[in-house]
Amino acid sequence: MSIALDQVTKRYQDQPVVNDVSIDVGEGEFFVLLGPSGSGKSTLLRAIAGLTGIDHGRISLHGKDVTHVRARDRGVGLVFQNYALFRHMTVADNIEFALRVRRMKAADRRARRQELLKLVALEGMDERLPGQLSGGQQQRVAVARALAHKPQVLLLDEPFGALDAKIREELRRTIRAVQRELGITTVLVTHDQEEAFALADTIGVMNHGRLLEVGQPTDLYAQPATRFVATFLGAANLLLANQSVDGIRFGATPVSAAGTDVAHSGRESEVVAVLRPEEVELALAREGLSSNYIARASVEEIVFTGALERLRVRILDAPCAAQLLGGTAGEALVEVTRTQPERRDLPLRAGAHVVIGARRLHVLPTPLSSFLACAPTEAAAAQLAHEPLLESLSTRMKTRVGLRVIDLSAPAPIPLAGVAAIQAGTEAANTVEWLLRHGAGEVLVLPHNAPSPTRVFIHWTEEAARRATLAVSASLLRHVSAEAVYLGIVPEGPAGTGRAAPMRALLDARSEAQHDHRLEMRTELAVGETVAELTRNLSAGTSQMLVLGITNVTHAASAYRSLLAAQPGWPVLIVYRPPETRAAPEIAA
Amino acid sequence: MKNARQREPSVIPGFGITLGFTSFFLCAIVLIPLAALVLKAAGMDWERFVAVITSPRALASYRLSFGASLLAAGMNMVFGFAIAWTLVRYEFPGRKIIDAIIDMPFALPTAVSGIALTTVFAANGWIGQYLEPMGIKVAYTWIGITVALTLIGMPFVVRTVQPALQEVQRDLEDAAETLGAGRFYVFRRIIVPTVLPALLTGFTLAFARAVGEYGSVIFIAGNMPMKTEITPLLIVIRLEEFDYAGAAALGCVMLAISFVMLLAINLLQVWGRKRMMVSR
Repeated sequence: MSIALDQVTKRYQDQPVVNDVSIDVGEGEFFVLLGPSGSGKSTLLRAIAGLTGIDHGRISLHGKDVTHVRARDRGVGLVFQNYALFRHMTVADNIEFALRVRRMKAADRRARRQELLKLVALEGMDERLPGQLSGGQQQRVAVARALAHKPQVLLLDEPFGALDAKIREELRRTIRAVQRELGITTVLVTHDQEEAFALADTIGVMNHGRLLEVGQPTDLYAQPATRFVATFLGAANLLLANQSVDGIRFGATPVSAAGTDVAHSGRESEVVAVLRPEEVELALAREGLSSNYIARASVEEIVFTGALERLRVRILDAPCAAQLLGGTAGEALVEVTRTQPERRDLPLRAGAHVVIGARRLHVLPTPLSSFLACAPTEAAAAQLAHEPLLESLSTRMKTRVGLRVIDLSAPAPIPLAGVAAIQAGTEAANTVEWLLRHGAGEVLVLPHNAPSPTRVFIHWTEEAARRATLAVSASLLRHVSAEAVYLGIVPEGPAGTGRAAPMRALLDARSEAQHDHRLEMRTELAVGETVAELTRNLSAGTSQMLVLGITNVTHAASAYRSLLAAQPGWPVLIVYRPPETRAAPEIAA
Repeated sequence: MKNARQREPSVIPGFGITLGFTSFFLCAIVLIPLAALVLKAAGMDWERFVAVITSPRALASYRLSFGASLLAAGMNMVFGFAIAWTLVRYEFPGRKIIDAIIDMPFALPTAVSGIALTTVFAANGWIGQYLEPMGIKVAYTWIGITVALTLIGMPFVVRTVQPALQEVQRDLEDAAETLGAGRFYVFRRIIVPTVLPALLTGFTLAFARAVGEYGSVIFIAGNMPMKTEITPLLIVIRLEEFDYAGAAALGCVMLAISFVMLLAINLLQVWGRKRMMVSR
């Protein structure tokens, strides 16, 4: 591996800005780190360059651990967004800077400089000053300068940010060509998905300091695993669908979908599906559709953008409209793009009534679809829905919070879908038990005004709950900037006996989290009684949260009663998978 | 051909008024008094003029005035840079207070700073009593004069270098570091060249201020002819003797030397700026 990052963490004032990131970049690979501003991508790049120290983890370049090596000894070339050329030096002096530092002979320096200027197509500019060059030319000089000392790794921090569209594209081509010609391992940071698609062999998407997904551009676009990646890489309509053994159902209509591999429990469950704007088909009547019918709609807005036509259509069927995520509340708008031939076949105007079909629907493998605020009264449920933590989670997950009045003395009239959220307190344990018995898979117990967590503990009582708990934790942690800590607890016993098995379980858990869920987590082993140890760890700091995996409702309801009743308490997300579901067959796509 | 030089309408009108006001002000408070000075000196005949300005006492005072001023400005360049660096680059408790204290010499009546320095550096003063046994006499020597001139010139350097340092992009240092440069190399080849114009401006201002300084120096100088007598003081002495022409002659010499030195520094800066940034 050319660049290997292992659980790299960087905190600013206790807030992790880079959170347990592990990446392997292969020899000669062009890796693009993509993310919105503030996602920690630039900090990570600076950490690779050695300009920013890290708090945890290891960085290796070409098999050599450089975590504690100074920037100047790492042998990397770095290109900055604002060029960072030395303005008092000529182009020649800029490019030769690294060679001068290394006391290379003047003749050799000249030869290398000519070579580099040829590479970036700036021959004859040697004696110019940076101020006499255009932005694009300056960035070429910066690239040449960064390559002068033949670095093992080239790092580019938003190198096209300050350039206009035409120049940007030209420079993009140059950089790709240079990278191919030299075969140098390259990491580029950008917030522009188009740029990422155009340049990358591999894209890594970051958000809130976490690396969410890594993959080839086409795979990430077609089969994103997270809603963030789905919506950040191109436009996406997110919708809640129901999945069962029979397939996917959106509202009342069954639709066919690709890419479903959600761990399935036999009973019908709610899933999040991605519908790309270009996969939406429009027709005047249901018979005109060549794909699966979804709903009736009216055209709200049409924007002509050259090659494509962008439309926003409003879904008219109420049950379907309610299943649409994103957008503002009550705005059941679906984004559609059509090519010119499609547009010619069916010219539309705003206000026209159409039907929409889905050519391809991608189901996200996330176990957290939506939230359902459950309380004994309508008012309490509404109040619960406005708890800061629940609000921020649902906003970040681009999902909705439904309301449900529950009566513990009666059976549930309609099946529960999504994560049930309830108020913490003395009654919480009973409510949890009732919800789990009535089909809820996840229950979030919320203390009043709980802040967004900075550390999430993960624990499960039986190994059977491991897979589901990890999946839920991974999904949760993509949306909060917190550290994940798996807490293994072994009962007290004679020293030295029976520690090996829990240790192995700990490491297994970590590697499973890493490989199956792309969740980087710390592991800790505690000795003692489970509830006491959990309480002790949760009390040890502020803004902590627990994800608790269980397989037995009766046992859990009694065992964790005190934990759920604690004041002021912590948010606890209970993940329940009844043991028999392990045998349920997985549904093929 | 139509009017080729059509003036672009400016957002702020009144170029004529402002230029008129500028020239009037410059004349009234700078040029006319200076011309009067030269005229007064011209009232003497040439031999007397030469005799006055080349008298051993006058020559000694020039040496002291310009020598101490240059030295003080030079010291300010070094320490002012260090202070500006500290204030710009580090975040520490009390930074705001120190930042405010920098301007104190601007606000303080110069006589007050002169008296204060004398008290501190006199043979029995707070600092003077420790320097005395080491054989270092500060008060009533050229060292004391330099100290006073350094004090009053310091804010000029700090205040001009501060914004320039703020503008030195961290990226430049980071870039140099990834290219393999050590800290001192970065300082010498990147930071100093970048802030040099500002540093020179600060030096010029501090120097100009020091040359003209009177109030703070006379208290700490001891004012011994040939030894610790600065030119401004000599001018005052001439005035007290009602030798207005002699005072004017000395004034002219100061004016000439100052003008030449400031011009030289300015030219140096223009040259430097041309090299540094052709367009910005």
